[in-house]
Amino acid sequence: MVRVRHLLALAGTFVALASVPAFADSTIKIGFPIPLSGPAALYGVPILKGAEMAVADLNAKGGVLGRKLELLSRDSKASADEAVRLARELIIKDNVDFLVGTLTSAEAPAVSTIAKENKIVFIAPSAKTSSLTAPANLHPYVFRFASNTTTEGQAGAIIMSKWKDVKRIATIAPDYAYGRDAVAAFVAEIKKLRPDVQIVDQQWPKLGEPDFTAFITAQMSKQPDAVFCDEYGGDFVTFAKQATPLGYFKAIHNRLADGGEVGALEVTQPLGDTFPFGIWSNAYDPVIWPNHEPPGHKAWVEKMQTALHSKYGSGWAVQGYSAILALAAGIEKAHSTNSDKVSKALVGLTFDTPAGKRSFNANHDADTGEFWGEMVKEAAYPFAIIKDPTYYNPKPEMN
Amino acid sequence: MRYPRARIWRRLPWTLIVFLMALWVPALGSRYDTFLGTQIAIDALFVVSLNLLLGTTGLVSFGHAAYFGIGAYACGVLMKTYGAPFILAFPAAGLAAAFFALIFGYFCVRLSQLYFAMLTLAFAQIVWAVCFKWNAVTGGDEGLPNIPYPNMDWLSSLPGLGDLSTADEFYLLTIALVALSLAALQHINRSPFGRMLTTIRDNPERAAFIGVNVRAYELAAFAVAGGFAGFAGALYGIFNRGAFADYVFWSKSAEVLIMAILGGINYFWGPPVGAFALVWLNQEITSYTQYWPFVLGVVLLVLLFAFPGGIVGGLVAGYERLRRWRWRHA
Amino acid sequence: MAASFLFSQFVGGLTTAMFLFLIASGLSLVFGVMRIVNFAHGTFYMLGAYLAWEAMRWFSPSAEAFWPAVLIAALGIAALGAVVERLLFRHLYGKEELYQLLFTYALVLILGDAAKFIWGTGQLSVARPPVLAASIHVLGADVPLYNLFIMLLGPAIALGGWLMLSRSGPGRMARAAAYDGEMLDALGADVGGIFTGMFVISSFLAGLSGALVTPIVSIVPGMDVEIIVQAFIVVVIGGLGSFWGTFWGSVIYGQVLSFGILIFPGFSLFSVFALMAAVLIVRPWGLFGRPLR
Repeated sequence: MVRVRHLLALAGTFVALASVPAFADSTIKIGFPIPLSGPAALYGVPILKGAEMAVADLNAKGGVLGRKLELLSRDSKASADEAVRLARELIIKDNVDFLVGTLTSAEAPAVSTIAKENKIVFIAPSAKTSSLTAPANLHPYVFRFASNTTTEGQAGAIIMSKWKDVKRIATIAPDYAYGRDAVAAFVAEIKKLRPDVQIVDQQWPKLGEPDFTAFITAQMSKQPDAVFCDEYGGDFVTFAKQATPLGYFKAIHNRLADGGEVGALEVTQPLGDTFPFGIWSNAYDPVIWPNHEPPGHKAWVEKMQTALHSKYGSGWAVQGYSAILALAAGIEKAHSTNSDKVSKALVGLTFDTPAGKRSFNANHDADTGEFWGEMVKEAAYPFAIIKDPTYYNPKPEMN
Repeated sequence: MRYPRARIWRRLPWTLIVFLMALWVPALGSRYDTFLGTQIAIDALFVVSLNLLLGTTGLVSFGHAAYFGIGAYACGVLMKTYGAPFILAFPAAGLAAAFFALIFGYFCVRLSQLYFAMLTLAFAQIVWAVCFKWNAVTGGDEGLPNIPYPNMDWLSSLPGLGDLSTADEFYLLTIALVALSLAALQHINRSPFGRMLTTIRDNPERAAFIGVNVRAYELAAFAVAGGFAGFAGALYGIFNRGAFADYVFWSKSAEVLIMAILGGINYFWGPPVGAFALVWLNQEITSYTQYWPFVLGVVLLVLLFAFPGGIVGGLVAGYERLRRWRWRHA
Repeated sequence: MAASFLFSQFVGGLTTAMFLFLIASGLSLVFGVMRIVNFAHGTFYMLGAYLAWEAMRWFSPSAEAFWPAVLIAALGIAALGAVVERLLFRHLYGKEELYQLLFTYALVLILGDAAKFIWGTGQLSVARPPVLAASIHVLGADVPLYNLFIMLLGPAIALGGWLMLSRSGPGRMARAAAYDGEMLDALGADVGGIFTGMFVISSFLAGLSGALVTPIVSIVPGMDVEIIVQAFIVVVIGGLGSFWGTFWGSVIYGQVLSFGILIFPGFSLFSVFALMAAVLIVRPWGLFGRPLR
C-alpha cells in the first residue's frame, strides 16, 4: 500500500501537469457553458447550434480582427454550481477570452460573478432574471442579450389589458425566481393598466412538474376569465396535454398569455395539432413570419435550416447566433480582445441580428423585446404559428 | 516478514506526507493544477466524512450532501451577510451541519438499511426545498454568490509565501484544514469509538448483545460525519465563489457515494483516491464529448465488475497477489 | 360548487396516483419481492415512452396505431429486460444493495445517453388515442376518458399482481426464490429462470407504463430520473414487499399532493419527500411493510 499510494499521487500530479495546454493565441476562444442534457437541453442545444453557425459564418469571412473564433462548449446541466465550475475551468484551464452562454436564470448570475472576478466579458443569451443586470449586481463585464422578466410580464399585461371582457385573472408559473419575477411584473402592470381586474388564483407547480392535474383543477375551480402562464419548454407541453382534456382552455376561451416562448418551434412542433390554438405567446424568432418579416431574415432562416438539418429550423438558434455577432461587433469596435476594452465598446453598440437591429443600453441589457402574437393553425404547417408577430418592448431601459 | 512491514506502513504519517507533497502544487504546477487541487482536497474531505458512515459504520446515507450544503450556506451567510471572519464562520459551519445531522440522524438511526437510506434522502430533499425557496437567507434558486475569501494576509507574512495569488493562498489554507480534518477522522477511526463502529458494522445484533447502545453510536457517527461534511461545504462555498441549492440536491449525494465506492470504502485512503479519480476523469472527458454520463456509466460498470473493492481495493488485491507469487517463487 | 371542486381535486389526485402506480408496480415487483434496487427501472420507463413514439411514427399518420404501439413498446422493453438480466443482473443477486444501486445507476447513465444519442434532446409528444380522447362530465368536473382508463388499469394491475404473487404457483415460487434462493435451487427449481421471469414482467410493466404515459406528458431526457425517485418513495411508503402497499402508497401520495398544494403553494417541490419522512418516522417499515431481514 505504501508505494502504490505514492505512485498514484505522483502519476496524478504528472498527468495533471501534462494537461496544461500550450498557448494557442491564434484563435479567439469563447467559452460556452450551456445545458446540453436534461430537459433544459431543449433550448440549450439550439442556442449552441446558433452560436456555432455564427462562428462558422464569421470564420468563413476571415474571422474577427484576422483571427478565427473558437467555441468551447460544455454541458452545464442547468445547474448553477456546474455552470460556475465550468466557467472557472474554461478560464483557468482553457484560457478563454470571453464567456457566452448559460440558459437559466440561476446559472447566469452565478457565472456573472465569475466573469466579474476574472474580468472577462460574459454575454448571456437567454437568462431573463432582472437580477442579472440589477444595480446591485451590475458590473462592466456582464451583458444580457435576452429579454428580461419585467419586460415579459409587462408585455403579457399589455396584451391582456386589451381583452376588455376579462375581469378575473389567474396565473400559473414555475415555482422559482424566473416564474415568480415574471408573474410579479405582470401583476404590477395589469393592475396599473386595468385597475378593475382581480387576481383570483395563483398556482406554483415546480419546475419539471410531471403532473399538473391538481394545479389545473384547482385553478379551474376559481373560474378565471384569463390566465397569465409562464410554463415553458417541456413543462408547457406536459401542461397543455393535461389541461386540454380537462377543459381548461375551453373554460377560459383560450384567453391565455404565455411568456415562456411557447410560440417557438421547439414547443409548437411536438404539440402539433394538440396545441391550444388561440392562446397568445411569444418567441425570440417566430421563424415563420407572415407579415413584416425583417429584411435578411428569410435568407438566414434558410441557412439555419441547412445548418441544423431541420425542415423548419429553430426558434432559439437566433439567440446564440446574435450573441456571438454582438461579441464580434464589440471586438471589432474595440480593435482588441481585451475584456476591458470590449466591455466599453459594447455599451451603446448597435449590431445586426437576424431578427432586427439591437443594441446594449447603459444597463448592459440589449433592447430585446419579444415577438408576441396569437397562436393559430395554418394549413401549410403541421403546427401552430404566431399570427402577425408583433414586437413588444414596453420599457427598453428597464432592468 | 509481513509483520514488521505492516507496522511501518501503519506508523508512517500518511496524512502529513500527502500534505507536504500537496504543498508543492502551486510552485510546480499551473493555475489550473491549483484549481483542481483545491477541488480534489475539498471533495476528499467530503467523501472521507461520508466513509465514516459508509465504510466504518456500515450506514448508507443518500442525503449526505445536505450537511455539505448546510456548511456552505452557514459559512457563506456568516461571512457575506454578517461579515463574520473565517475563523468564526468555519467552525460555525461545521457545528451547524453537525447540529442538523444530530436532529435528522435521531430519526434515521431508528431505521435499518434501505429505510435508513431513504429517510436520509427525504431529509436532504426537504433541506434542499428550504434552500431553494428561502430567498431572504439562502438566495433561493439563484443561490448566494460572491462569498468573500477569508482574510489571508497572515499567510502572506509567512516566509517564502510573499507573493502568491489569492487562489494559491486559499489552496494552501484548504489543504491545511483538510489535512487536519483528515488526521482527526483517521484518529477517530482508530480510536475505541471507531472500533466500536466497525463492530456495529460487522454485526449490529452481536454489538447490541454485548451491551453497546447501537443507536447512540450510530447517531454520534452521523453527527460527526455531518460536521466534517459541513467543513468541506464551507470551504467549497468559498472556493466555488458561491453557495447554491444544487449543493444539497440528491445528485450531489450520489456523486459523493460514487467517489467513495470508486476509491474503495474499506480503506481510509480509498475515498480520496476515488475523489481524485472522478474529478480528474470528469474534467478530462468533458473537454472531448458531451456524453460524459455514458463514459462515467461504463467506468462504473467496469469497476463494479472487475474491482468491487474500488481502485484502492483492486490495487491492494493486485499487490497481495504479486507478493504471494513472489513469495512462492522466491 | 365546493363539492364538485373537492371531487375534481380528488379525481385529480387519483389520476396522479395511478400514473405513478403504473411505474411503481414494476418497481415493487423487482424491488419489493426480489430485493433488487433497480434504479434503471425509470430508464426502462423512458425507453418505453420513446419506443412508443417511434412505433407511432412508423404507423403514422394513423392515430389508432396507439394500442399496437403501446404493445410493441412494452414487449420491446421486456425483451431488453431479459437481455439485461441475463448479461448483467445475474451478478447482482445477493450483493449489497449499494452495489446494486450503483450498478443500475451506471445503466441509467449509459442508457440515458444512448436515448439522447438516438432521439436527441428535443421533446416528443404523442396524441391521445381517438377512442379515449373525449371527456365525461361527472359531478360538475370534466374527467378525461383516458385518465379514467388509467384509473381503472391501476387497480387491475394491483389485483393481478397480488393474485399472481400470492395465489399462483409461479408467484409463490418467485417469493420463495427471493426469500431463500439457495434452498429453492437445492430443491430443484430453476431459480435463475424464475428471476429472469420476474424481471421480464417488471420490465414489461415499465415499458407499458412509459408507453401509456406518452399522451399525457412530454417525452424529454431526464424524465427517467424524475420519476424513479418518486416511484421508489411510494414503494418505500407502502412498505417493501407489499404490492398493495405500493398501491395505497400511491393513492395517498396523490391525495396529499392534490390537497397539499391548496394549503401550501410551494408544496410540490418536496411533497413526496415530506410524505416519506412523515411515514417513516411514524411507521419505520412503511405502511404495510415488515422489518427487513
